[in-house]
Amino acid sequence: MAFTAALDTTIAVVTPENIEFKYQLAGPFRRLPAYLIDLIARWSFLLVLWIGGALLLGLLDLSFLGPFALAGGLVFYFLVSWFYGAVCETFFNGRTIGKWACGIRTIDIDGRPISGKRAVIRNLLRVADLAPIAAMSQWDPDIPPIFIIPTGMAGLLSMAFTRRLQRLGDLAAGTMVIIDERTWRVPTTRVDDPRIPALASYIPAGYRVSRSMARTLAVYAERRHHLTPARRREVTRHLTVPLIDLFEFRSDIDPDLLMQSLYYKTFLAESQLDQPDLGPLAGYSPLKRDSKTPPPPTSVNAIPTPSLVQQASTIGAIAVGTDPTGTTS
Amino acid sequence: MNVAVILEKRRAQWAELETLCDAMETRGRTDKTRQAHHRGAAGISRFSTLYRAACADLALADAYQLPPGTVTYLHHLVGRAHNQLYRANQFDPSRWSDVLFREAPQQIFADPCVRVATLLFFGLFVLSMFLAKNEALFPDYATSIVGQEALESMEEMYKDPINTKSLDHYVTMAGFYINHNTGIGLTCFAYGILIIPCLFNLAWNAVYLGAVFGYMARDGVTGSDHFFHFVTAHGPFELTAIALAAGAGLRLGMGLIYTAGLGRIDSLRENAMRAVPVMAASAVLFVCAAFTEGFISPSPLPFTIKAGWAVVSSGLLSFYFVILGFPKESLTMRQPAAVFADGMYGDGRAA
Repeated sequence: MAFTAALDTTIAVVTPENIEFKYQLAGPFRRLPAYLIDLIARWSFLLVLWIGGALLLGLLDLSFLGPFALAGGLVFYFLVSWFYGAVCETFFNGRTIGKWACGIRTIDIDGRPISGKRAVIRNLLRVADLAPIAAMSQWDPDIPPIFIIPTGMAGLLSMAFTRRLQRLGDLAAGTMVIIDERTWRVPTTRVDDPRIPALASYIPAGYRVSRSMARTLAVYAERRHHLTPARRREVTRHLTVPLIDLFEFRSDIDPDLLMQSLYYKTFLAESQLDQPDLGPLAGYSPLKRDSKTPPPPTSVNAIPTPSLVQQASTIGAIAVGTDPTGTTS
Repeated sequence: MNVAVILEKRRAQWAELETLCDAMETRGRTDKTRQAHHRGAAGISRFSTLYRAACADLALADAYQLPPGTVTYLHHLVGRAHNQLYRANQFDPSRWSDVLFREAPQQIFADPCVRVATLLFFGLFVLSMFLAKNEALFPDYATSIVGQEALESMEEMYKDPINTKSLDHYVTMAGFYINHNTGIGLTCFAYGILIIPCLFNLAWNAVYLGAVFGYMARDGVTGSDHFFHFVTAHGPFELTAIALAAGAGLRLGMGLIYTAGLGRIDSLRENAMRAVPVMAASAVLFVCAAFTEGFISPSPLPFTIKAGWAVVSSGLLSFYFVILGFPKESLTMRQPAAVFADGMYGDGRAA
């Protein structure tokens, strides 16, 4: 089990619907900005309240309420600085303002939502996670005690050594922080190149794409636009050389084009039986045995653009190096 | 059926589920999509239908040979919808009294960590007080712990009789003590998971307070009477609260070390759950202490009343710890029953 487990920072959760789905865990570099945003939010909240309270008292001339306001302010400061996170996470379903901004959420390690008690524990223990505090006064005794820099080493070490990237507070509360972003798009891959259906129609009908091959094809189709044409040929050649032999294609077929054709045949073609409308490319064959016969001249005349003629005349060599068609969107 | 057709058919529903998730983000209401069929119960049932459909899609993703990118999308979508369907439990104030008056005293009574913390705190406190009071044998002790300046300012502060009559001062100071002292207690609790900082914090508070008390108890120190006049009333609540906070913190740290057969992390989690009622009791005591310190201690009430309040509060604490905390028969009975039930279950499984 330990050997087969993926190295990714994902965690699987089994729901009551008996579905196992994966969460991506949030690491320190996503959680630190969230914490800093929370810090700013907390202080600006207190500042606004303080200014508002002072203005209200000053305007209404309620100076006899001053001490009560001061005491209330102190108690409020205490509550906000210790329980801001716990209250936010309980009422906003595992999120504080900073977590909302950074697209992360706190949940139970079983994938269930966080409960109030757990939220209190993990937020109280943040003090221990921020330890040790940098002793600035060691270097310069004149530094006022407000410049207390928590180094956060305890929490960082704990996150580094636990599988769910939990800090000490998370460990004690049994929670973890996962990425829960608002927008995810379905990655769609379209095939625009007319040569692809043409080539796909020559792939023997008896060839069955295996499951791992299908996955490879899908990954390749989704990611190929990140690669340069030369790199595409390089990474796909290992896979396509045996396939070209198997399909008895000409050996100068563009490997990238062949991969896309396989992808098209596996995932996109309406039916295995339908013959695609080859249009101007009709009559060209990638097969090795057909490479001796010249292409029919009629179709050359039918094609308006000369560049396509040139490409179409040798469906293999042509495609090599000239593949400007983006097939992904 | 090929993938493109499936995706086209399903995409509309996935998009609808996403809009519903967006709408439910803050308060879990589906009304926010501003669509007629998402209002009220219909919206909720629509959401659950779509969620189950997405779950089914994810379950069948392998069979449909969906591309990995789409599977990742489905994982995110199902995860998001799951978070909206199963929402956080809100605080339940009706359980708080149960936590405070049943769970907390039971836990405090039974918890060795609380005993250790209390013994450590009061032991060091008394020792430090003795060292600081004994001017002949340890003349420099109080000065080296507290510092000359602090001691002088202390004498200066209690030079006059305690006689504050302004309500403003009472209220402000009560607020200040709630903020300051409860903050110290919570810090002590949090550091408990690292054990050493918690023990240091506790010991330092004990030694410092003991040194101040001992120094003020010396003969011939100005303001000695006024000092004890001030501290008597809130002493029982405040000192107990510090010891309890550290005890709750130590429970966390000991959970990591003494696992009682559980995994280390599981044990920490169990112990954290048990520590929370103790910490809650400690926080309440801090607040009680703050009100006493704010309103009674600085008031011109005679010393008898303040001492009386100290006696009453000590009595209340004893009642809380011993009478409410004494192991209940129902609890002790439940323990073997649970073991027996486990045994039955195990036997049943084996047979």
